[in-house]
Amino acid sequence: MAFEELDPISYDDMFCMDSYSSYLPLTYDVNYGVDGEINSEPWWLSTPNLCEDLISPDLPSFNSYSTTTTPTSTISNDLTSYDYHSPTSNVSKKRKESPESPQRTSHIPRKVQTRGVNKECDDGDVIVEKRAPAKKAGNRKTPGKSASTTTNNGNSKEGRWAEQLLNPCASAINAGNLNRVQHFLCVLHELASPTGDANRRLADHGLQALKYHLSSANSAPVSPSGSNFASTNPRFFKNSLLNFNDINPWFRIPNSIANSSILQILSEEHSQVSLHILDIGVSHGVQWPTLIEELSSRPGGPPPLVRLTVVNPVSDNNQSGGTPFESSPGGYSFSSQLLAFAKTKNINLQINILNNCPLQSLSPEIIKSSKGEALIVCAQFRLHNLKHSVQDDRTEFLKIIRSMEPEGVILSENNLDCSCISCVDFATGFSRRLDYLWRFLDSTSVAYKGRDSDERKMIEGEAAKALTNIGEMNERKENWCERMRRTGFIGAVLGEDAIDGARALLRKYDSNWEMKVDEKDVCAGLSWKGQPVSFCSLWRTDFRTNTP
Amino acid sequence: MFIDNQIPEFDMYENITTTTTTTSTTTMASQGTSLEDFDQAGHMCNNWSPVVDWEALSAPNGDDLQGLIQSMMDENTPSESHYPSFPSSGTFRDVLSHSISPESQMDHEEFTSATTSTEDAKGLNLIHLLMAAAEALTGAHESRELARVILVRLKDLVSPNEGTNMERLAAYFTEALQSLLEGTSNNNNIKNLFNHQKDEHHQSDILAAFQLLQDMSPYVKFGHFTANQAIVEAVKDERRVHVIDFDIMEGIQWASLMQALVSRTDGRPAPHLRITALTRGGGGGRRSIGTVQETGKRLAAFAASIGQPFSYHQCKTDSDETFKPTGLKLVKGEAIIMNCMLHLPHFSHRWMDSVASFLAGSKTLCPKLITLVEEEVSPLNDGGFVGRFMDSLHHYSALYDSLEAGFPLQGRARALVERVFLGPRIGRSIAQIYRSRGEEKGGHCGTSWSQWLDNAMGFSPVSLSFANHCQAKLLLGLFNDGYRVEELGCNKLVLGWKSRRLLSASIWTCPEYSNLE
Repeated sequence: MAFEELDPISYDDMFCMDSYSSYLPLTYDVNYGVDGEINSEPWWLSTPNLCEDLISPDLPSFNSYSTTTTPTSTISNDLTSYDYHSPTSNVSKKRKESPESPQRTSHIPRKVQTRGVNKECDDGDVIVEKRAPAKKAGNRKTPGKSASTTTNNGNSKEGRWAEQLLNPCASAINAGNLNRVQHFLCVLHELASPTGDANRRLADHGLQALKYHLSSANSAPVSPSGSNFASTNPRFFKNSLLNFNDINPWFRIPNSIANSSILQILSEEHSQVSLHILDIGVSHGVQWPTLIEELSSRPGGPPPLVRLTVVNPVSDNNQSGGTPFESSPGGYSFSSQLLAFAKTKNINLQINILNNCPLQSLSPEIIKSSKGEALIVCAQFRLHNLKHSVQDDRTEFLKIIRSMEPEGVILSENNLDCSCISCVDFATGFSRRLDYLWRFLDSTSVAYKGRDSDERKMIEGEAAKALTNIGEMNERKENWCERMRRTGFIGAVLGEDAIDGARALLRKYDSNWEMKVDEKDVCAGLSWKGQPVSFCSLWRTDFRTNTP
Repeated sequence: MFIDNQIPEFDMYENITTTTTTTSTTTMASQGTSLEDFDQAGHMCNNWSPVVDWEALSAPNGDDLQGLIQSMMDENTPSESHYPSFPSSGTFRDVLSHSISPESQMDHEEFTSATTSTEDAKGLNLIHLLMAAAEALTGAHESRELARVILVRLKDLVSPNEGTNMERLAAYFTEALQSLLEGTSNNNNIKNLFNHQKDEHHQSDILAAFQLLQDMSPYVKFGHFTANQAIVEAVKDERRVHVIDFDIMEGIQWASLMQALVSRTDGRPAPHLRITALTRGGGGGRRSIGTVQETGKRLAAFAASIGQPFSYHQCKTDSDETFKPTGLKLVKGEAIIMNCMLHLPHFSHRWMDSVASFLAGSKTLCPKLITLVEEEVSPLNDGGFVGRFMDSLHHYSALYDSLEAGFPLQGRARALVERVFLGPRIGRSIAQIYRSRGEEKGGHCGTSWSQWLDNAMGFSPVSLSFANHCQAKLLLGLFNDGYRVEELGCNKLVLGWKSRRLLSASIWTCPEYSNLE
């Protein structure tokens, strides 16, 4: 472990600015694939109000900048009734009534799309807000309107033809039927493409993964080619990540809920307690500027000390074996930029990076926890990499966490069936991995509007590690919750701020995304086209149980 | 043997077309003159088959698997090349047999495949794609979307008018599958599939193509000559002969029969020959009747010119195209011959029921001889649609190869034959296979007609004569040496291309008749 040295100049502009611009909704339509385009003017610095808007519970306001109101009667009734009954409609109204900020629209060139969301005013007139940039439809009750042409039938297996070749091929491998394997590989070869629609991409990644699997017993297995996080350069990596978060909520929603939950926990502590965040995640730092912003504007002022302990993944040489999204390109570091940004916000931030430190070896000493600080563990999309069957590393690790007696544990994980080799055979596991990757590729296909770019290639190539990595073993939400309870944690209700904020945030993305709060497990579940993708949960130490 | 006899006087194109008169008098002798051409071109064109060493892969143990994959991995830039170079040496047939049922031990080609070319690899890919599309249409994991995607890819890769044999053939199979895909989206269309490609060719094109097919391969003549030789032998003591012809078309078969009858060497006068041609009562019947009448006139003129006593009749089938023996005009003491040529290229699979009624009806007529020529299908009945589809692909690829071997330099002539006959025939054939999915095995769709005659109808086989066998061999001697003749049982001759059986001619008689003798 090492304290990263402060380097106040090198990436300063880049990091701070991009991290902000990325979290401003108006940019998401224009700046992906364009390296640093957004940096031309630090306009965000001059509009502190905007930052407050960003972190306030009024997150629905994301959607209502550049609002013009036009009376109209052409909007269908279901739209009307939806917004009328929507839990966020009050917030929307409030935003609409507030004066507009001209800065919001003046600096960023973008395609202006409009979408109408109407509300019934008190006098019964129908008001339509024209918003830009727009996703295809903001109203989740009319999913038909937003169905993308490239991803039609995303739910039905009928449209998912790539799996209808990949799965039988995996079954043929199971059965040792070489002729069938050869047949499917040949057909896949003809139909797969690293570009094109989600099916062709899935076929391409699947084909590479199958070849890798078939050659893995060789001395020199053939790793899937193509770009991923580790193979790119730091600057491109970060810009891509920021842009991705702007167009796809895959990580953005869990990040948002985590940040809100941290604030929620902190608000229950007395005001002078220090905050210590143990970051076991895949956000590569882009999650934290928002938190710092929020901490700085918190009622009662920021904590006297904010410590961020980042547990980097233990690097292995096997590029294909890693967990998706956890690795980063060589030379990437966000510490100095984040520290500089914290300074501008008057946050006393310390960053501690733990390299080559396996999760199981964590201890209060290694993370240098101290009494009198509020420890919050933020575990996102990393723990499924731990084994769970023969040797239950997941439970063991949670026991370690429990022994640290954190004030809160935020757990976000993929909400899919386990695909590990000790649970199911190769073919079944492979089909579950494909199922996961399909949801990702289908959603990115919409997010990138079907267009191809190096950024998309890298993000999707990273996700495709799910097909080849050894450790990847998803698990259903229910199993995770059960494991958390067993190891001495109590599920905590996610705060209203967290849920409302996430919901509002989600509205800026494609309407195939949905979020549901599960009352029983008090989790927030994210789903794509009705299929579960991930869940976010908040846990408190159960002091009735003994420390394991 | 009458194959040496020339039949120059019979002009099947009289008054129909002027475009093909130069080739209208086909004789064995004239074909013999081009034998050298065949020999020169023969082997050059036969080695198209994709080359995969399936043999070496038949035992799926770890080492072989690794070898396979290793060789696959050797391809450098898969994304840039559409045609991966598969590990190789083997044949199309091997691919098919292994793909369908790894256990089946079909005959392997003995000819060697010298090189792995891009063409070979592409041909192999086409086979895989066609098979996958067929599976997607009907398999356990039926997926119309997958079928659609595969067919789009296939259409990118092939055209019926250019490329290798396999590419042109794949184009027609792609079209056939596309029709199924479109048809299945609307059940009402399934029936229309059978009319899909009807009559879209000009009559003169059809005749020209038929003539070319006759010249290029023994395909047509093999059936006619074997049947006629059996008829000549069967009626040698008869004074009156009555041939009931299931599908007379231009009547080309009967000119050579008359020639043989009048030139008998035993000194007796030729028997009286009466031919009854079936005409279709169903749709398109009117044109059918017109054609049949024209044929009758030509045959009568020809018979008169060579002094063959002859009369001609028509027998209309019911509106559903079933045959009723009661519609026939019979004369006491005449020997009845039932003639059923199902290999002719224009044969419509719509007539399946018609064939059944013809053969079944013949039982009440107690014919002296039944001559049956039909396409050979592999007895691979458990393969379902995909198995039969692949068998059909196999069949037509052999046919394409044989035509190319016969006329290697006449690409345009072959193209005409392919366009006029083979393409539509492939379409009808695949539609028929698709329609008969799930039908009981007892039906005649899964088995051959000759099996049906034997097992279900109880007809007795009639032994083929040595002379007939010799005649077939002599006929094939005039064509490329890739053709084979094979005797199956005592009453069946099979015409094959290399190891693939193309069609068979078999002769039968009524059990009562054989008891009388």
